[in-house]
Amino acid sequence: MAGRGGAQRPNGATQGKICQFKLVLLGESAVGKSSLVLRFVKGQFHEYQESTIGAAFLTQTVCLDDTTVKFEIWDTAGQERYHSLAPMYYRGAQAAIVVYDITNQDTFGRAKTWVKELQRQASPNIVIALAGNKADLSNKRMVEYEEAQAYAEENSLLFMETSAKTAMNVNDIFLAIAKKLPKNEGGQSGQQRPPGLRLNNEQNQQSEGGCCK
Amino acid sequence: MTSLGKAEFGVSTFFAASHPNDKCGANGLPLTPNSIKVMGRFQFLTTLHHPHLCRYLDIAKSKHERMLVVSEYYKSTLLHHLQSGKYSSESKMVSLAFQIVDALSFLHSRGITHRSLSVDNILLQTENSVKLAEYGMYYMTDWGADVSFPIGSVRYMAPEVLCSGPAEVDEDTETCVQPVTGPKADSWSLGIVLLQLFLTLSKDMLDLLRLCLTVAPSRRPSAEELKKHPIFREERQKSVPYVNGFTMCSTKLRCKDLELPSYDDEVYDPDHLSQRTMDEVYYLWRLAGGELEAVLKKAGMAKTRPPIHLLPCCGIPDGDVFGQERDQAELLDRTIIILPQDQLRNRLKDIPETAYYPLLEDETSVDTGQLPTSPSAGDLTQTASLPLIIRERDIEYQFHRIILYERLLKAYPYKRPHIWKEARVDIPPLVRAHVWAALLEVEGDIEGIYNDIDKETPIPTDRQIEVDIPRCHQYHELLSSPTAHTKFKRLLKAWVVSHPQYVYWQGLDSLCAPFLALSFNHEALAYSCLTRFIPKYLNKFFLKDNSPIIQEYLAVFAHLIAFHDPELSNHLDGIGFIPDLYAIPWFLTMYAHVFPMHKILHLWDTLLLGNSSFPLCIGVAILHQLRDRLLSFGFNECILLFSDMPEIDIERCVQDSIKIFCSTPKSATFRQHARSNRKIKTEDRPNLSYYSRDYNEQPQSELSMEPIAIEELKAEKCPRVSAEDLIELGELAGTAYSRSPTKKRQNSKPMILIVDVRRAAPIMIASLSVVRFRRGMVPGSINIPFMTAFSPEGDLSPCPAVTTLNSRRNQVIVVIGNRGRNASNFANELLRLNYSRVCVLHKGIDVLKSSGILTVAPADI
Repeated sequence: MAGRGGAQRPNGATQGKICQFKLVLLGESAVGKSSLVLRFVKGQFHEYQESTIGAAFLTQTVCLDDTTVKFEIWDTAGQERYHSLAPMYYRGAQAAIVVYDITNQDTFGRAKTWVKELQRQASPNIVIALAGNKADLSNKRMVEYEEAQAYAEENSLLFMETSAKTAMNVNDIFLAIAKKLPKNEGGQSGQQRPPGLRLNNEQNQQSEGGCCK
Repeated sequence: MTSLGKAEFGVSTFFAASHPNDKCGANGLPLTPNSIKVMGRFQFLTTLHHPHLCRYLDIAKSKHERMLVVSEYYKSTLLHHLQSGKYSSESKMVSLAFQIVDALSFLHSRGITHRSLSVDNILLQTENSVKLAEYGMYYMTDWGADVSFPIGSVRYMAPEVLCSGPAEVDEDTETCVQPVTGPKADSWSLGIVLLQLFLTLSKDMLDLLRLCLTVAPSRRPSAEELKKHPIFREERQKSVPYVNGFTMCSTKLRCKDLELPSYDDEVYDPDHLSQRTMDEVYYLWRLAGGELEAVLKKAGMAKTRPPIHLLPCCGIPDGDVFGQERDQAELLDRTIIILPQDQLRNRLKDIPETAYYPLLEDETSVDTGQLPTSPSAGDLTQTASLPLIIRERDIEYQFHRIILYERLLKAYPYKRPHIWKEARVDIPPLVRAHVWAALLEVEGDIEGIYNDIDKETPIPTDRQIEVDIPRCHQYHELLSSPTAHTKFKRLLKAWVVSHPQYVYWQGLDSLCAPFLALSFNHEALAYSCLTRFIPKYLNKFFLKDNSPIIQEYLAVFAHLIAFHDPELSNHLDGIGFIPDLYAIPWFLTMYAHVFPMHKILHLWDTLLLGNSSFPLCIGVAILHQLRDRLLSFGFNECILLFSDMPEIDIERCVQDSIKIFCSTPKSATFRQHARSNRKIKTEDRPNLSYYSRDYNEQPQSELSMEPIAIEELKAEKCPRVSAEDLIELGELAGTAYSRSPTKKRQNSKPMILIVDVRRAAPIMIASLSVVRFRRGMVPGSINIPFMTAFSPEGDLSPCPAVTTLNSRRNQVIVVIGNRGRNASNFANELLRLNYSRVCVLHKGIDVLKSSGILTVAPADI
């Protein structure tokens, strides 16, 4: 017990460092955001994963060499209408996964919009990963791997095609993010949480002083 | 509605074809099991009522895609009678033939092809009346696409049917594309049947046969055309148009052409059960312990082969398998087994005859809250206090409730108040769809309105609706069928296009699901219920910019938590676990997104009786049930708990919600965005205003609640109450008021304690300097001036008033101040100290100036 207590402090002994990061999932509805999280966190897959209203929250810990990385994952609603909620989730996030569906070109377009928005409005050093989900349906592919990869390179994004259904690249993409995140600051996102809901964030962003970062 | 009469219930069974393992449809989701598709399509068959068709009653699935179909049944068939040589007169035969043609033409008009008409599935209800059976097989199996056996017997098959290949299914829509047999195949089968019926053929009959047995379907007459054949001249004159039974929402004159039944002692039928509808009797049959599979097993029909016998001989790494032996049972066995009714009749035998015909006029008994019309009321009241799940399985109790409700619904809307009162006891599952509609005050030509809405033209929302539907309550057998998806889409589109001021927010699908599941065959009813439900409980929630509405709702919810559970409120507030993070899906879908269907139904049974503030109380009740866990959890654990709604005892939740609702002053849940200005027929719901009326719908005065700016609402931690509520709850103006739901026992003390936090100022009275309130004070209030109330440590400084406060902690504490923030800040401090039921008088002491209740009491000298 005593040993564990020591390891829980990021500034404790070097061995068993723990970092906590806030990660947000963005993307058009029904591309598989919730499924990716469910696969990563619980190792499960539900064919008929229910739609997310507002947002859902889950945590998962991964071990990386001598560091334990704890992800606080905010899984957002995909419908365009819920867009105004998104800033409250991605503000203060150290990482984001922007998800699209490889069988649907429109969702890729939407993913690009999300990337732009993150680059403009999120924390400047946010780590963004692009996930082309539903890779198991490659026979119905509408977004070419090369196209997405080229886009990811241009924008210095991590990129992988994933399948929540077969678990392909799901852990890998989270691990890749964990590796890229700076561990020296201790990733103290734990205390930062949405200050309160502004469904119409555009108007209130500037005036509110109490926001995270 | 068709009553039971002399009918039996018959069950038959077949297997839906099973899909190869792991095969996926075009959307990447696994193919819908054929059994689910069949169940979805089957529902339409249950809506068919025709004097010469056996009713379809129920479908169930069991292991390995086995389907069990229950329908009306009669033991004797046309075949038996042919063999016994009973029919010799041609006119009798023509009459039967006409009945068959009539039934076929009815089926065809509804898009159903029989395809397996033969002498052994034409049943005889009486010697002179036929009933077609098995006519739904071809339709429910999607024209044979969902089963691996042929439908129809070769002898009766039309040439084009014999020539056609097996059914093909489109991968995208999962529906049969070809070849679909047209209705004219039935004309051929009819020809063959007639050929068997008539031994000697008249000229007319020969002509009819020739027409029926025309090889080319294009030239073969349809059933509708056959009806006009000269041979049926007399029959046509005899046949009266079939009038469908009672419909609840219709603009038709329900008493037009009404024939009162004549009571003849000679034909008095003591079998009262036979007068009940088939659906009701079948429902009771199941409650009496009837099990379809047990009946089949007893008849040796549902033999299941050990799964090991069904294993393939070999498989390849791709997942393809070969060499399964085909099970004989997968072929169609047309045997129909009669469901024995003795158990049911035995269970009902002690019920007195009068219970079948309850009197409704006895309004006084209703008011006492007793179940009014049953002779064995004593027993029933006892049952009524048992848990809901037990009541729903109690056959005698359900019998009485169903009969009562069925009568009440027939008298809707006239009997609406009575329905309200009964619904407060419970709602039998069999009649829930209609009772809900009654509670939501659905009336008028709902079919016409629904039919007039364009549900086909593509709209921009289509994509969102299409991705949401296959994810909404898909564990539900009916809702996961393609039929349900089609209906679902129509309902949502109908709502979106007919409410241009609103938009589709994800969550509307969940909200729609309970209505669709209940009124699966009555889309117009489901639609009307949805359109009545939304303005009542979710007024303006579906505006494009719904932020002010949701903000206000969540702020009021936070107040309500603080009011009822300060400890929990302080804890959640402290860790930053605010309602905005978890309660949006609760409220936006009225919990339909967070609970499974059976729980939603029970929750909404009560929700529909409450006003638009009731859902807030449900939220507090849910938190209350999870209280211990929430109190011990930090932020992460709390939010994880709600990311997957934990098991909630719904009946307890409902009871808690009612308690919370009744102990909350009505103005404390005031929301400016709740529905207002609706015209209400006041006489409709006497004495129900406590629960069902909205605050905004009642007359307003200067003592009422007013809209509060959202910033202010969010800054305050405790709810405000109106002067009206204060006067009523404090009994400051007698007991005449009755606007608040808060009830109290007679002769008990007033349920509020008024805390005046103003500082009294020295004024001169009769040349003496006395400490008084210039504006007077509320009689019975205690004075704890805010400025001096709290010690530096933050505790209440002891004084006699604080002692009074502490001795009356179970009362509602109304804090009164001047215009400033003192009252609200004082209330916040009380909340911090875990005082429960703290609220603040809206607009402070000034609001009471004109009320005449303020007194200049002798100050404490």
